[in-house]
Amino acid sequence: MSALYDLAIIGGGPAGYVGAELAGKKGLKVVLFDKRALGGVCLNEGCIPTKALLQSEKVLQSAREASKYGIGVENISVDFDKIMKRKDKMTKKLVSGVGAKMKRAKVDVVMAEAVIKGKNAEGITISADGKEFNAVNLLVCTGSEAAVPPIPGLDPKEILTNREILQLKEIPKNLVIIGGGVIGGEFADFFNAMGSKVTVIEMLPEILNGIDEDVAAFVRKEFTKRGIDYYLQAKVTSLKGKEVFFEKDGKTSSIKGDQVLLSVGRKVNVAGIGLESLGVEFTRRGIKVDSHCRTNVPNVFAAGDITGFSQLAHTASREAVVVVNNILGNKDTMRYDAIPGVVYTHPECASVGLTEAAAKAKGIEVEVRSLPMAYAGRFVIENEGKDGFCKIIAGKKYGEILGVHMVGGSCSEIIWGACALIEAQLRVQDVKELVFPHPTVSEIIRETIFEF
Amino acid sequence: MAIPVIMPRQGQSVETCIIGEWSKKVGDPIKKGEVFFSYETDKSSFEEEAKEDGEVLAIFYEDGDEVPVLTNVAVIGKKGESVEEFRPGNGSAAPVVETVAEPAVAPAVSAASECKSSQVASVATVTNDGKVVASPRAKCEAEKDSICINDLAGTGPHGRIIARDVEGAIGTDKQMTKLAKVKSETEGLKPVSEPTGIGGRVAAADLTSNPVYGKSEDSEVKKLTHMRKLIGNAMFKSLHESAQLTHHMSADARKIMALRKVYKKKLADGETKENVTINDFICYAVIKALKKFPQANTHFLGDSIRYFNKIHLGLAVDTDRGLMVPVVKNADDLSLEGLSAQLGSVATQSRKGNINPDLLKADAASITVSNLGNYGVEVFTPILNLPQACILGVCTIVPRPKDLGGGVYGFVPMVGLSLTYNHQVLDGGEATRFLKEIKDQIENMTL
Repeated sequence: MSALYDLAIIGGGPAGYVGAELAGKKGLKVVLFDKRALGGVCLNEGCIPTKALLQSEKVLQSAREASKYGIGVENISVDFDKIMKRKDKMTKKLVSGVGAKMKRAKVDVVMAEAVIKGKNAEGITISADGKEFNAVNLLVCTGSEAAVPPIPGLDPKEILTNREILQLKEIPKNLVIIGGGVIGGEFADFFNAMGSKVTVIEMLPEILNGIDEDVAAFVRKEFTKRGIDYYLQAKVTSLKGKEVFFEKDGKTSSIKGDQVLLSVGRKVNVAGIGLESLGVEFTRRGIKVDSHCRTNVPNVFAAGDITGFSQLAHTASREAVVVVNNILGNKDTMRYDAIPGVVYTHPECASVGLTEAAAKAKGIEVEVRSLPMAYAGRFVIENEGKDGFCKIIAGKKYGEILGVHMVGGSCSEIIWGACALIEAQLRVQDVKELVFPHPTVSEIIRETIFEF
Repeated sequence: MAIPVIMPRQGQSVETCIIGEWSKKVGDPIKKGEVFFSYETDKSSFEEEAKEDGEVLAIFYEDGDEVPVLTNVAVIGKKGESVEEFRPGNGSAAPVVETVAEPAVAPAVSAASECKSSQVASVATVTNDGKVVASPRAKCEAEKDSICINDLAGTGPHGRIIARDVEGAIGTDKQMTKLAKVKSETEGLKPVSEPTGIGGRVAAADLTSNPVYGKSEDSEVKKLTHMRKLIGNAMFKSLHESAQLTHHMSADARKIMALRKVYKKKLADGETKENVTINDFICYAVIKALKKFPQANTHFLGDSIRYFNKIHLGLAVDTDRGLMVPVVKNADDLSLEGLSAQLGSVATQSRKGNINPDLLKADAASITVSNLGNYGVEVFTPILNLPQACILGVCTIVPRPKDLGGGVYGFVPMVGLSLTYNHQVLDGGEATRFLKEIKDQIENMTL
């Protein structure tokens, strides 16, 4: 029997390690369990490795377009093996960085599967690595994995998810992607640039579900120009090896790929961790939590994908901070109205807050202004021959900023500013008082604001 | 020569009062007739004026203190005079009451704890007419920092909100986002007690017309206000200690509705000053009926019954502070217009909070009328205001079918009457006959 911990955390992803680090720094005695690798999906098979790949693509595109900028680059070649190795190097570096952070915060890390055993006078008991651990508080952040729906003929060994596709040894000639969401979109972009013939099959009328419709359509048109084939409102009916059968407009067709990527959503990891032993309320969609990330059981918290709504790394980290603050007795509430969403395709999409459609659905009267990215001089300089736009949604009555949606260039780096506008509940007239550095791409926000 | 200022006695039944707010502080000059301090009973608030010119030499109690009546609360005199002989506890004067009652005006005082100066008392800073007392600098800073000034507790002179109160509120839940501030001012909304905005600010989503809802907690436990406790205890005691039940009947309201029109016209023509209401007619009918049923104009005293020779009519009044039942004494001496004037006057005083507390006591009235007709209530069971033996509930006027004679049926406006009586005093037959008499008086009212 080991000493009593103040906080036990199951899952070392962006919720787990961020929560552990903060709690450790604040002087809590923390134990963190992870069965695979610190950093979770984000660091090992999500955000980080895919961004490494997309950076290689960006350099490739720059090389191809260098002549536009007066630079001669000849004999451009792609070394896929080197790209993948570089990705692994980046991942390894950042994962070991998390390990170092845990050490500095004096967090005990147990690399083993953890199972909740129950509650006793000592606290909550967790068993891992053949030992028992007791903690006063428990944070469950076991995350999610790729959902594999029961499509007839689907053989998990024949298809790829976000995990396997990162281990490919060679560029597939034909890549079929089932699901045109964020994951599908980013891989479509990357492998298209690498030379694959990419086909995306999406069930909904538009790709990048949840993103502003105009932004999604902009990306799709851009990608179509580059040769990516889209089948929208197409339902995959069956698979036969790597051949995908789908129904569109009442007709069934099929496409055979060298590889098939399945990216149709995430499944929360609620099974096998012993939630039942504490009576924690959960469904297939996730653990039920309140605005302080508390479950129905006192001292048991949940954060990240496991809660089932936002499923973004940065949401998970913020939720974990809310949890630790509440454990420390500091009031903190989770807010979901200013969570940025970014798609790291080229061009990048970045958005925060309500879309026009969501505002309408909520019955909020809004004013919308939109400007081409070319209104920011720096964008024109950096993105010759390219386009994009910025759309701002504000409340009609008070002019409060409700949503900012951008596509073009590296807009992911400026979206946090829009988050701050929404968090601070600034109004159009307040934002007009802000000074933006000139010349920057971020000025597009200022330009669009002055359209109101 | 120094003279003590005492806590005045407001009505025979009041034993203690709560100091609302001092208008002067020690060392201030004061003139005869100037307001020195405000104070409150359970249900009313008053202002005490200085009776002499002089300087404020001492103030013995702080705002919010509950002080027995006739106790010395301050001393006015010439500079340098001793005040010790007047200090409560030094002579016959009584000490401060230990059990501190709920302050009648209770704005949030949590911000005061954030203030730098701990010795300054937090003070209610909203005047009786609802105006916020704040220095121009405080107002300016509150505007700049989006602080909700209405919720601040002032620590300046006379409870005035000063700049440091606003500074103390920065970073607390009194700070609002710009949007929240504009929205709360435009729509008259209030922040919930646990704001969820960035840095603990009040966000637009934290504004509600009813601050009870919109909190993250499932529930919270709040102590009863003094007023609520009083009403609750009286109601519980009534249902617990008497044999009460209610009879319902309705009366043809055509006569009194016609008379109401006559009086409305008189009022418009300037022939009368009184706006005689339907309720006034019914109260008038009750008084007439009581003349025939003295056993209904009684108090139940356990082993005896007090029969009143006069009629003291209590009227249930819905106020911001809760239910109040002021009484019109000797209501049987009044004309219809006189009764109307008196009922209107006690109701207004109750709502304003300056009613004589003696007129609010349950044993001051010999019977009570409670009218929910305006709100559309069709039937209810009023609770006796013990020791009174009867309370008449007046309900809304509803058109009901009636035999008009000669085989003709028509719809007639009928006013509902719900009489609750104590079966310890009256039997069902008597109560019914009394109720029938009220009905007859209403239906046959002439003036």
